[in-house]
Amino acid sequence: MTDAQAGGSVRSAGRFGLWLGQNWALLFLLLEVVLFSVLGTRFLSLENLQNIFVACTVVLLLGMGETFVIITGGIDLSVGFVMGFGAVTCAKFMVLLQAAGLPQGASIPLAAVICLLIGLIPGLVNGTLVARLKVPPFLATFGMYGIAYGISEIISKNTPISGLPSAAGVIGNEYLLYIVPRKMVTFLIRPQNITRLEMRSMLAIIPIIVVIAFIFVGIFSFVLRRTRFGRHTYAIGGNVDAALRSGINVTSHLTRIYMISSFFASLSGVLYVLKYVTGRADAGSARMLDAVVAVVIGGASLYGGTGAVKGTIIGALIIATLETGMVNLSIPYHNRYIVIGGILVIAVLIDQFFPELVGRR
Amino acid sequence: MKKTFGLVLILVLSVAIAGFARPGVEEPQELTFAYMSGIADPFMFMIEKGAQAKADELGVKLMTAEYPKAWGPEYQVPILEAMVARGGFDFLIVVPTSTEALIAPLKKIHDKGIPMITTDTYLGDGDYSKASNYSFPLAYIGTDNELGGYEVGKRLAEMIGKEGKVYINTTNPDVSSVSGRRDGFLRAMKEFPKIEVVGIDYNLDVQEKAQSQTAAVLQANPDLKGVFGTNLFSAQGAYRAVVNAGLTGAVKVASWDAGMDQINALKEGQIDFSLAQKPFEIGYLAVEWGYKYLTEGAEVPKKIVPGFFIFDQDNVDDPDAQQYIYQ
Amino acid sequence: MRCLHHFLITPWAVHCGERVRRLLWQEWRNRSAKRVLLFVGERWSAFFLVLMLVVFSLWAPHFFAFKNFTNILYYSTLYVLLAAGETFVIITGGIDLSVGFVMGFVNVCASIVMRNLHAAGHPQAFSMLIGALVGLALGVIPGLINGLLVARLRVPPFIATLGTYGMANGVALSLCEGFPIYFLPPQARVIGNSFLAYLIPGKSFAFFHRPQNLNADDLRALIGILPATVFVTVVILIVFTFILGRTRFGRHTYAIGGGKDAAIRAGIDVPGHLVRIYIISSMFAAVAGVLYVFRAGIGNFTTMSSSYELFAIAAVVIGGASLMGGKGTIGGTVIGILILMTLETGLNITGIPSFYRYIATGLILIAAVVIDQITPERRTISD
Repeated sequence: MTDAQAGGSVRSAGRFGLWLGQNWALLFLLLEVVLFSVLGTRFLSLENLQNIFVACTVVLLLGMGETFVIITGGIDLSVGFVMGFGAVTCAKFMVLLQAAGLPQGASIPLAAVICLLIGLIPGLVNGTLVARLKVPPFLATFGMYGIAYGISEIISKNTPISGLPSAAGVIGNEYLLYIVPRKMVTFLIRPQNITRLEMRSMLAIIPIIVVIAFIFVGIFSFVLRRTRFGRHTYAIGGNVDAALRSGINVTSHLTRIYMISSFFASLSGVLYVLKYVTGRADAGSARMLDAVVAVVIGGASLYGGTGAVKGTIIGALIIATLETGMVNLSIPYHNRYIVIGGILVIAVLIDQFFPELVGRR
Repeated sequence: MKKTFGLVLILVLSVAIAGFARPGVEEPQELTFAYMSGIADPFMFMIEKGAQAKADELGVKLMTAEYPKAWGPEYQVPILEAMVARGGFDFLIVVPTSTEALIAPLKKIHDKGIPMITTDTYLGDGDYSKASNYSFPLAYIGTDNELGGYEVGKRLAEMIGKEGKVYINTTNPDVSSVSGRRDGFLRAMKEFPKIEVVGIDYNLDVQEKAQSQTAAVLQANPDLKGVFGTNLFSAQGAYRAVVNAGLTGAVKVASWDAGMDQINALKEGQIDFSLAQKPFEIGYLAVEWGYKYLTEGAEVPKKIVPGFFIFDQDNVDDPDAQQYIYQ
Repeated sequence: MRCLHHFLITPWAVHCGERVRRLLWQEWRNRSAKRVLLFVGERWSAFFLVLMLVVFSLWAPHFFAFKNFTNILYYSTLYVLLAAGETFVIITGGIDLSVGFVMGFVNVCASIVMRNLHAAGHPQAFSMLIGALVGLALGVIPGLINGLLVARLRVPPFIATLGTYGMANGVALSLCEGFPIYFLPPQARVIGNSFLAYLIPGKSFAFFHRPQNLNADDLRALIGILPATVFVTVVILIVFTFILGRTRFGRHTYAIGGGKDAAIRAGIDVPGHLVRIYIISSMFAAVAGVLYVFRAGIGNFTTMSSSYELFAIAAVVIGGASLMGGKGTIGGTVIGILILMTLETGLNITGIPSFYRYIATGLILIAAVVIDQITPERRTISD
């Protein structure tokens, strides 16, 4: 073998390693899917795969907000309870508007819009605290975490809100397309007047809730990757002083970042109400950590400067696939934590062999 | 580039092969029951134990879905749907974590031809005998938490002479079972105008928190006469705070659930009475009726209430009572 | 000054002198004010704690009571231990999310050992001692795993400790199967709830042994002085404050937090040191777990809704540390926990309904931190 050839194979091995290091999350996701489909039962069925997407929406949306915040080197601990606040507010307004006589077609979207607008307030507060008053993000959002929880419980009077218009549940649980084999195809509305047998063989395609979520994910992904706003976000995360010197209005930019985060949390709350037809104050509390994990798995560093929406999506899918797979394999509750913990640890080991190439500190 | 492409191709192919080359897994022909609990706690484990006992007796299989790490439809529904997508069971025993949110997912399961029984909690208002959009489950088997809370309230009120200050320490406002107990207790208290409820605290299932909250309330209200701990952790924390403050006897402690520690505390006079549900029996009955329905097409009563058992300092050592202890 | 020099006796001289004197007086007052602000600003958390104690004592009946203060210390113990361990980790620029579950894991292990030994008929002291030692020994493992992941494999601390968080929780749950662990040696609970001294005002005084067979009135009047578990915690804290502040180990810890590369160049064995730091953190959690067993008399796993680690980290940051590393003290952390605990207990005693307390705590905390940012601090080179 000539030197050139030897050098060539070494180089391509290095490039392969580079590719591996940069895309380990995606590979890990594929590995999970392969593993579960081999070991499990009907894992690759249409229904199951779609369930994974529906299951990942909460972590995905919360993670979207966190992505922006973490890129700037901060963290937002309040997203879980801002989501609860959003759910409670949205549910409450739906009930109020319906009682005021508005038809369902109006009350539901109106309540959602009101909730999203109100949902910007926690972000505004967080952003002001962090950007103008220089409060460490951990403490500012930790304070907001408590405040949002308290307000939500008080609004909901310590009981999950009920009595919502039923159409809300329809949007949250239905699909875009229904196919009854050899019989009919319908959009948005479940086929009526079919026999039990036909009902069992019916195919439901693309949950509406996933569509709504991914529309917003797409919009903000574009913002992060292709607009000046996005570039400024990375700049602040990379080096605040340099960003200041290059003329970026860091204070107002940071405030907007935190508002984006609480927007996504409220959006997640609205989708929660649409799916579960109820509003609860602790709707998002146990998913908060998962959101940050998704962002970090997706490539961000908690010190700021790196991260991407694509990574967060993969991170959210990894978590959802893992959880669904565990249920599919009927792994008992206790062992599940051991397995997840172990997998997380092993998974990151792969990445750690190429830190310089991935561009991480 | 070629290498990348090649690798991706291999992976996609293996996924495809894995998915489609395997023939549909044939489940064993024996009947399989699935149990979807509400949350990971001793009460839910006891339901599983009861269900498993009956399943072993009848020779059927019991498949347990993952215990949700927290209470709420957002934790339970993904697990439920993953179980359903997996399939392989003939009957579902479920503890719905929301009276409204679970209607749609459970209806989807019903439409696939799988009958179900709801245990401990219910859909809608729990009355499946009247036709409604939530009357498709076969039955509701459970203790009425609200009624239980009411019973506890009345007993405690009698114990403290129908007047004075009382305090509730509970876990989570968003968990319907515990909230039911709280609401039942409050309803009972309304019947005694001379009793004042000084506060309701939420310890989120952390025993130390229950203890510190109760201690603070004892400190602020030296004339407190009664405390109600609405579940295992709340009661354990509450009575310990009373003991540490040296107020055993002066402050009456009512508790819910019959864990070994509470039974011991009863024996030592540190708890005054405790309401035990019958989770073992709930699980047992669910499998029993489910089996009868599947094999004989039996008519299942729409509501079965195994009731509860109240342990107090007199009957705590009764041999008949021992079966109600959670262990 | 020049005025005086040139125009010693004229009225204009007097006028100048007046101006000068006024200037000097203002200067002195400004500098004094600045000094006061500086003094308060640097010790803001301590001042804030005192402020809260005063406000609550005035506002809430029964707050200013010996028993109440004892309670605050008593219920702070577990949190303070977790937070103290966390302090070491945060100073090095890392984070340890596993502390709450490691505490639960050690709790479960220690109590299982105690239960089994007790059931086998061994003397109680033996069962308790072995149980505690086993718990502490097992507590090293998560720390070791964390340390190796962070130091040698360069896993981000957030992810590494999240992994151990999950593993500790899983193992704990498997071992106890979701039930609390009963049938421990009864002496354990007695020890855990004992005080160093007991006093019945006007009647008797005893060391270590709780007076038995008291009637109801005496029982109520019984005052316990210094809970045993608080005493143990204080001793541990003093030892580690010394380690952090006065030994080379402590200096190296701050150095790593200041800059890993600089520390390496200065010759510090950074990976080895980091491993030791994470072991310290999980050892603190282990001690907390063992103390919990002694106090409760039963074994309990840590529930998902606990958020122990969040409070621990918050306390460390309130106490003056930065999540970027390089700053922080155990004293500050202790004040942080006391602030959180006093706030919670105080609000509870004032009778404010529970969820308004969440809002109040959030607002007060934010206000405290904002004031902290506004008050001046001595600028150091590292800033």
